[in-house]
Amino acid sequence: MAAAKTRSSSFSGNLSSAASSLGPGLKCGPNGTVLLSSGIPDLDKILGGGFPLGSLVMVMEDAEAPHHMLLLRNFMSQGLVHSQPLLYASPARDPRGFLGTLPSPAASKDDKSRGPEPDQEKGLRIAWQYKKYFGENQLNFDGQRDGKHKYSNEFNLRNPLERHFINGQRVDCFSIQDSPDLSILQDRCTTFLSQLPRNDGSISCAGRIAIQSFCAPQCVYSNMEWEMLSFIRSLKNMVQSSNSVAIITFPPSLLSPSFCKRWQHMADTLLSVKAIQDDDKELAQLLTGYQDMIGFLNVHKVARINTQVPVILEATTFSIKLQKRRYLILECLNQAPVDGSSGTSYGTSGSCSSSSKTGNLDF
Amino acid sequence: MAKSICIALREGALEGELAPTLTIKDSIASPFGLQVFDHVLSQLFSSILAGKSPSQGLILVSFSRSPSFYLELLKNKGINVASSDKRIHILDCYNDPLGWKDQIVEISSTVTVFREVKHMDKLFNSIIELGRGLVGGGKIRFSIAIDSVDEMLRRASVSSVARLLSNLRSHEQISSIFWLLHSDLHKARVTAVLEYLSSMVASLEPSHQLANGQRGDLENFALIEHNSKKGKFHVRFKKRNGRVHVMSEEVHMEQSGINFTPLTSEGAINQGLVPKVQFNLQLSEKERIDKANVVLPFEHQGDNGKPLQIYDGRRSLVDSKHERAVAVENVQTKEESESESESDRQRGEIIYYRDSDDEMPDSDEDPDDDLDI
Repeated sequence: MAAAKTRSSSFSGNLSSAASSLGPGLKCGPNGTVLLSSGIPDLDKILGGGFPLGSLVMVMEDAEAPHHMLLLRNFMSQGLVHSQPLLYASPARDPRGFLGTLPSPAASKDDKSRGPEPDQEKGLRIAWQYKKYFGENQLNFDGQRDGKHKYSNEFNLRNPLERHFINGQRVDCFSIQDSPDLSILQDRCTTFLSQLPRNDGSISCAGRIAIQSFCAPQCVYSNMEWEMLSFIRSLKNMVQSSNSVAIITFPPSLLSPSFCKRWQHMADTLLSVKAIQDDDKELAQLLTGYQDMIGFLNVHKVARINTQVPVILEATTFSIKLQKRRYLILECLNQAPVDGSSGTSYGTSGSCSSSSKTGNLDF
Repeated sequence: MAKSICIALREGALEGELAPTLTIKDSIASPFGLQVFDHVLSQLFSSILAGKSPSQGLILVSFSRSPSFYLELLKNKGINVASSDKRIHILDCYNDPLGWKDQIVEISSTVTVFREVKHMDKLFNSIIELGRGLVGGGKIRFSIAIDSVDEMLRRASVSSVARLLSNLRSHEQISSIFWLLHSDLHKARVTAVLEYLSSMVASLEPSHQLANGQRGDLENFALIEHNSKKGKFHVRFKKRNGRVHVMSEEVHMEQSGINFTPLTSEGAINQGLVPKVQFNLQLSEKERIDKANVVLPFEHQGDNGKPLQIYDGRRSLVDSKHERAVAVENVQTKEESESESESDRQRGEIIYYRDSDDEMPDSDEDPDDDLDI
């Protein structure tokens, strides 16, 4: 599993006082940042703890698969579980209906250990992909640090979120399909963020903004590319000076290439999801666990706040799997053992470019 | 494959889901889009009539062909439209799309003329109204076929067309939708938008790509002719579990209509089991013959049953005389009457120096024998 190495400087400030005044669902991160969870524990680990407050997360969708909705669902549910105010904008006619599909947190009694299968030999085990086994110890340790509220929950995608989390909350949903321009969206974001100013004191609660399929073609403003870009820039500025995290998903195939690049540069954290082709024999030979995968997640950029040190991940491509069809997990890609009898040389399979649909796979 | 598309459209949408949507995409290199559209239309309508589908009716929005064409088409396929006029209705956007004519003669009761194609929201309302008129209100569903989205995009902006289509998709009474698109009439972004909005994309491609798209070349003429009768049909399905299913077929244009056949693997698996390396492991014919002609330095070999004499660099006078005679014989048995040295040079020799004279022939095959362990 990839984890960012956090640097602890020799100047350790008064961290104890700051830590105690953080609201639920927040924790201290490196370089004086405060983190909140993305709702997917694996993603939190990859990004070094979670999303830092004041950052803009952008997710590049794949037009052929709805995996960005999984990310959004977990993100929004995590916020609601921690009673963090939420603003949700989507091009659908009835965005409130989406709230009905949010998953509920898994009960901690559920045994969802990802340990080795029980039917393994007791004798000599040859660990072909030994890195898989390192993470097991870490999992147990994290689970013990339980306060009243867990920092990050596993979400059960089969169970809908209980109603009381959604009602009586500061949850604001609206549709961006019919707005002729972005001024309405801008106003809503401004009012939302004005409730969460950043002061030097304690942070009682942090907010979340989720904008889905921002440049969807059915929106009236979708051909106003410069306006959309300046909206993103102003949102980024507003979020930076408030205690919130904004996540925007967009389909890059519907933007012109230059704007797609500009949008990617705007992001503090940039992720992308990709669809997997069904019955792809080449991919099945190349990767283990191909049958369980539903898609790929690529981490292109990780937020660097208050630091010039870049975050270098061990791997940037992860496979998205649904464990027991309920829990979203991200796994490192593991190359399957090369079949010596087939005669393919190691060089050709190692370059991982055998299937053009997957693009760049990075082990 | 064409069958699976028709099955998916026939089955329609589940509760709470967006309607399955098909884009049929073709281009000038492989212009069978209209025929594929007709095929899918007749298949879907027969399933609706046979009651195999939860959809109870079909609304056909015709832009690029006259409604009478479709009525004829369905009649030719054996579907009696007169008795089934409660199941299909055609929205005629072909005869008078912009409302220029004062008077339109009613073709039949199954056709309604629509005159305001610039206004997508009015088109949306008409479609829904007609659909409700066919199947009633409530939860009963109907399907929609749009003749060609290109005409819609001529009159209205991309975002309004996209809004119409996505609203149709999310309407609770709509079971499935499909439309035709000629991809070379639009910018790439427009095609990307329509693919984004659909759950199945069927594209027609030529079986042989023309070099540089030049159509005047004589060589390409045969290819063009071939492409006008045959093509490849690729389908990308977006499945519910988030995976993409890709299928391919061959498509043939015939008198009776269009035929889909499984892909013949011409050149798909022609490399055999030879691994892909950068040097050539195969032998050409000439190389194979030459290889068979190389004389190997084993003394048991010999043509004509005679033991082969191999020059070993050390020979007594007697032997050399003997050898020369043998060599001369060898030369004379050959067709060429060139000198010995020349023929030697031409033949290609293996020079073998034997270690000692009193060794038995081929006794030095195991060099480990003289190890003293």
